[in-house]
Amino acid sequence: MAIVAETSRFGKLSRPVLAWIVGLLFFFPIFWMILTSFKTDADAVKPEFLLFFTPTLENYLNMTENYDYWRFATNSVITSVFATVFALAVGIPCAYAMAFNPSRSTKDVLMWMLSTKMLPAAAVLYPMTFLTKSLGVFDTHFLIIVVLMLINLPIVIWMLFTYFKEIPKDIIEAGQMDGVSTWGEVKEILIPLAWGGIASTALLCFIFCWNEAYWTVRLTTTEAATLSKLIEGNRAPEGLFFGRLSAVSAAAVGPIIVLGWFCQKQLVQGLTFGAVK
Amino acid sequence: MRRAAPGSRVMSDRKLPRLLQTPAVLLLLIWMLIPLGMTLYFSFIRYVLNSLRRPEWTTPSLSNWRGFGNYQFVLNNKDFLFAIQNSLLIVCSILFLTVILGVLIAVLINKAFPGRGIVRVLLISPFFVMPAVNAVLWINMILDPVLGLQGLAVNGINGMIASLQNAPVVGWFFSLWPQLEPISFRATQTSAYAVIIMVTWQWTPFAVLIFMTSLQSEDQQQKEAAVLDGAGLWSQFRFLTLPHLSRPIAIVVMIQAIFHLSLYAEIEIVSRGNGNKNLPYLIGEFANNNIGAASATGIFAVILANIVAIFLLRMIGKTLME
Amino acid sequence: MGRIVLENVTKSFGDAQVIPPLNLTIEDGEFAVFVGPSGCGKSTLLRLIAGLEETTSGQILIDGEDATRVPPSKRGLAMVFQSYALYPHMTVRKNIAFPLRMAKMDQAEIDKKVEGAAKILNLADYLEQKPGQLSGGQRQRVAIGRAIVREPAAFLFDEPLSNLDAALRVGMRLEISELHNRLATTMIYVTHDQVEAMTMANKIVVLRAGHIEQVGSPLDLYRTPRNLFVAGFIGSPKMNFIEGSEAEKHGAKTIGIRPEHITVSADSGPWEGTVGVSEHLGSDTFFHIHNSGLAETITVRADGEVGFKHGDRVRLAPREDVIHRFDAEGLRIA
Repeated sequence: MAIVAETSRFGKLSRPVLAWIVGLLFFFPIFWMILTSFKTDADAVKPEFLLFFTPTLENYLNMTENYDYWRFATNSVITSVFATVFALAVGIPCAYAMAFNPSRSTKDVLMWMLSTKMLPAAAVLYPMTFLTKSLGVFDTHFLIIVVLMLINLPIVIWMLFTYFKEIPKDIIEAGQMDGVSTWGEVKEILIPLAWGGIASTALLCFIFCWNEAYWTVRLTTTEAATLSKLIEGNRAPEGLFFGRLSAVSAAAVGPIIVLGWFCQKQLVQGLTFGAVK
Repeated sequence: MRRAAPGSRVMSDRKLPRLLQTPAVLLLLIWMLIPLGMTLYFSFIRYVLNSLRRPEWTTPSLSNWRGFGNYQFVLNNKDFLFAIQNSLLIVCSILFLTVILGVLIAVLINKAFPGRGIVRVLLISPFFVMPAVNAVLWINMILDPVLGLQGLAVNGINGMIASLQNAPVVGWFFSLWPQLEPISFRATQTSAYAVIIMVTWQWTPFAVLIFMTSLQSEDQQQKEAAVLDGAGLWSQFRFLTLPHLSRPIAIVVMIQAIFHLSLYAEIEIVSRGNGNKNLPYLIGEFANNNIGAASATGIFAVILANIVAIFLLRMIGKTLME
Repeated sequence: MGRIVLENVTKSFGDAQVIPPLNLTIEDGEFAVFVGPSGCGKSTLLRLIAGLEETTSGQILIDGEDATRVPPSKRGLAMVFQSYALYPHMTVRKNIAFPLRMAKMDQAEIDKKVEGAAKILNLADYLEQKPGQLSGGQRQRVAIGRAIVREPAAFLFDEPLSNLDAALRVGMRLEISELHNRLATTMIYVTHDQVEAMTMANKIVVLRAGHIEQVGSPLDLYRTPRNLFVAGFIGSPKMNFIEGSEAEKHGAKTIGIRPEHITVSADSGPWEGTVGVSEHLGSDTFFHIHNSGLAETITVRADGEVGFKHGDRVRLAPREDVIHRFDAEGLRIA
């Protein structure tokens, strides 16, 4: 935009400076956590070692040896990946039908789905624990995958729906004229065309699964426990073990942050839930 | 039906969509109805996990029917009203802060400047932090009054002032300064603020990104027309940008409300609910023993969520199908 | 072969009937154009023929066989959409080959047909490009190519030129006409532009609110419009309508006279008026005459050299033999 009035001092100098300050400020807690993770527990709370200290990998070594980090991490990966895959497998056909053959109730169904996300999880925690224990699925990967899939399904369907709606109906009809089957329509036209949207949806779903900290903590003990459980279990008494705590935390959020950076573009698109152009 | 069966696209037009929606609808229906049904049932009976005096209450049974007793018990509990107020306080504060900050930051970084890509990466990062880590990080390493950065900073400032008080000429001025007291965010009065701070930090990036995406689609010709019409920067923002953002704001509010109504990990970690319960947390506390009361509270929470949902969906629903 | 017959076809969306019972026959090899103002049901009618919409009642026969319940791809028809509806993720080659691939045709055969179509449509150089890299006219050709390779019984065109700019539109119009002459396949073409209808069709179907107002060759419609609506719709500039005493003189409620059938001059003719805006096209000039006492404006088409200015008083002489007369119902008086 080349509006003359914009070439003020503010636009030239202050904007980048201010923007950088804001960016650094928001990133600072994460930076601080990573920095602290390289300090010993004793150094971490000493003001004199605030910025200058002898870095150590002790915390990370300790974490993998004593805290069984890899098992939790593996569980997180397994449950998040499968939950995402299943959510897409159930969500894509549903969103496809809603976007291309909407009926009068489509909007209400969509809204109802979203509203299931508002049910307070705590209210059904006890019945869920009771039920899963009596069914013998408590603390299994299967259970966590199913639960993660279900809590993210409404968002997945909604996002996919908004992406699919972007596809011109003409193209789907052209496909019908050209003789594609319903499955062919999904495989040959829908998925290639909405690929960006599907990828965004999958990424966001994966992140929500990874970060989920209610059911994953309460429906597991050891077998299927994820990184959220590791954090919950190891938030040490106040002020102690900052170094160790930081290392565990950094190792829990690190993979996701890096993934987020790499897929920034898709994510930004995904985060808007397809509802903002 | 048989007549149309072989590959009849025209006929199946009505049935196929319903078929494709069935798995998703069915799954969510089960996911909603079974636990909800059980909660409803438990909310009308006496059901506790441990009772030496009345062991028959420890198994759910219709013979322990209590009618609306659990509801009455919950309503008379002093924590209940507080939890509702606190839930609303937390959600509304977060919404308010994230929307304001989000709009400001989005407008700030909407124009190109050196390193914009990096700033965006920095800004987006908090959103990926898992809630448990977020809480642990903030309450321990940043907000802790002694060992966290806050404590260290307050200490440092106090030390600096103390040393300045002995300085010549200006020393008298600094001796007027009070000793700064660090704030404990685990205390009854302040723990809600800690939660608000950390969740705002995590979700502001979300608001920023949505608003930024929306700003990029703003009609530049409209803006140029406004400049020709003599609109200043503020008028442009007030009469063009803000209305343009109304839909994204509605979406930010809705999505966040969905997530924050069920806030739990942060509250648990900051103060174990001390002075800062919300409804989910209160339910969790009841559920340690009194399942009946927990279930009744759960039903109240469902009702509250539905009120909020109806309110929000009205707001969004209209524009969704466009 | 491609003879398409509609028998008592109706279509309702909910309670709203958009196509009342309708009968129409399109002969094999005909170029039929459905024309009418927007919302007249012409696109719906085309989509009913294509099978993209279900008929509410009635029958659609294609080459004598009932196709009412046959899925779109099995009707042997090909459609070209207004938005082209190309598959953006496929190259031009893959786009054109798509219907053949769906029909499980042999790859060598597919290649041969695609090359053939590309040659006819001047697309040979673009086969490996994606639709996004092509211009509007080229995209339209790809869409036509995708239709041609199927060797359909009939082509259906849904306002195919409305997204092109004026110059391209004229070019594509000629190309489609040429294609029809070469393939001699039935074509059904939907447009709201009467110029397209007049220049391309063998048979024009004028529609209004789902009703067929008139069916006939372009010249039939031009010479003997059945009612006021058709008279006003066909021909450019629009026919002048005059009511009142002048019409009564001709024994009609309304008379219509086309701009090209009025001669404008300084001194001869029964009518008189003041020149308003004159539009100079070079070859022709359109004068908009006011204050004639006959109608708000009378449009007159004159030779490009005729040079009246705004405000000049002029006299108008209509050709009596081509005055159209309409009764109180708006129907033509023979």
